[in-house]
Amino acid sequence: MTVTGLIGRICMLPLRLIISACVALRIHPNILTFVGVLINIAAAWALALGKFFTAGVIMVIANIFDFIDGKVAIEMGAVSAFGGFWDSVIDRFSDISLFIGLIYLYSQLGRTDYVMITALAMMFAIMTSYTRARAESLIAKCKVGFMERPERIVLFMIGAFTNRMAAVMWVIGVLSVFTVADRIILTYRELRDTRREAVV
Amino acid sequence: MKQVATLPARILWNAFFWTYERATWQYDVMVVTILAFVWLTPPDWLRDPMASGDGPIGWLLRRLAE
Repeated sequence: MTVTGLIGRICMLPLRLIISACVALRIHPNILTFVGVLINIAAAWALALGKFFTAGVIMVIANIFDFIDGKVAIEMGAVSAFGGFWDSVIDRFSDISLFIGLIYLYSQLGRTDYVMITALAMMFAIMTSYTRARAESLIAKCKVGFMERPERIVLFMIGAFTNRMAAVMWVIGVLSVFTVADRIILTYRELRDTRREAVV
Repeated sequence: MKQVATLPARILWNAFFWTYERATWQYDVMVVTILAFVWLTPPDWLRDPMASGDGPIGWLLRRLAE
């Protein structure tokens, strides 16, 4: 087993208990999703005030909600097309709010350079989701590139807990550019191959 | 590309055009590389607005210079 696989298994133990509790209490997964974004906005507020450790703690709580909503939906038999759509849309609001919190902080500090770095990281983080969604309307699957949402969220937490948010913004920015490029390349190749097969 | 590329070029291409799943050894290597960058790079090198200091690399370089 890999190190990241082991960490994932350990984290799943308490999450299983929370999922079971939510199922027992019949809490609708769409409500869990919405509560998640509200808590993420609180985390963004803490980031904007420069209270990174507090933001990290709030992010952990918010992302428990983000993580369990889908699992609760499956266990309650409440999986729906709207639920999937709602989750994706709300996730974008959560992502963007965290970036906006940081942009506010850096602008208050008069650091235009990091305002730009964070804004670019935000742009490519959103484009990571958009390119996949758009590609999968044209090809079967577009799951390439490293910097997806779970990686982004964990990096945000690491940056917040260890006060290394600047380095984290560089990593998210650069790897999100690569991820968007990967998805464009894959979609181009797949569509080109489909066209060739159609001609033959 | 894959037929003519040298090993370093292939490694670089595979790191850029990422197709590995989570919980693979390649994923672990990427995670370690990212964490090393985040934690070891001196905040001063990145002109971090919220953190300061040399960090472990800066400390090591200072020790070596002494």
